[in-house]
Amino acid sequence: MASALRSSLLRHIQVPVSRTLILNGSNMKAVRSMSSHGDDHLDKEVVINRVLDIVKSFPKVDPSKVSPDVHFQKDLGLDSLDNVEIVMAIEEEFKLEIPDKEADKIDSCTLAIEYVYNHPMAS
Amino acid sequence: MFYSRAQSNRLKVQRQNEEKMTSLPARSEVLSLFRSLLRTSREFSDYNMRKYVKRRTIDAFRHNRNLSDPAAVAAAFADGKSQLGMAKRQAVLYSFYAPRAKNVMEINRP
Repeated sequence: MASALRSSLLRHIQVPVSRTLILNGSNMKAVRSMSSHGDDHLDKEVVINRVLDIVKSFPKVDPSKVSPDVHFQKDLGLDSLDNVEIVMAIEEEFKLEIPDKEADKIDSCTLAIEYVYNHPMAS
Repeated sequence: MFYSRAQSNRLKVQRQNEEKMTSLPARSEVLSLFRSLLRTSREFSDYNMRKYVKRRTIDAFRHNRNLSDPAAVAAAFADGKSQLGMAKRQAVLYSFYAPRAKNVMEINRP
């Protein structure tokens, strides 16, 4: 009785389904539900620009010296504390949590860009 | 067991050196403490506290960056560790009384 009622009710209930989901401004036809990342991976160009912007906006850095292959301590005259600060700023910008071991290795723009680009959760 | 005076002196010096070695923090430990403090600063719900803890951390590490006396280094490191503990507790406390409105500095102006 109850099951018959339920099935007859369910037949009449309709939920509108949105066919397209707009992700990052791009129309994606096939939505992989339950997949939080992977499809909206960052472009290398975008990563480079955003990393360079962070480094340039650092108070002690001369923006004209900044290029994608610049070394923080050798080329920009920063110390290890500045290095940590920059890596933390990158973490914040891309909403990442970089473990200490990895963060210690990042000492140039090249490595920072590489790390962020290869990180699946970077956004 | 009995030691001669020279022997016991040597042992004493050795022990002192070991103590010095264990109490003197490694470079990586200092940077890790710095990073932990900066991470904790982000956890504050209050804008002013977030900025203050960050600023205070950076200032203190800059202030002490040229310390060379091992005892002073160890003391500064121990102090930093206790400050980290305090900052973590305070971040939790502040979260109970999180401001209901954003600080004016947090509002992005076009």
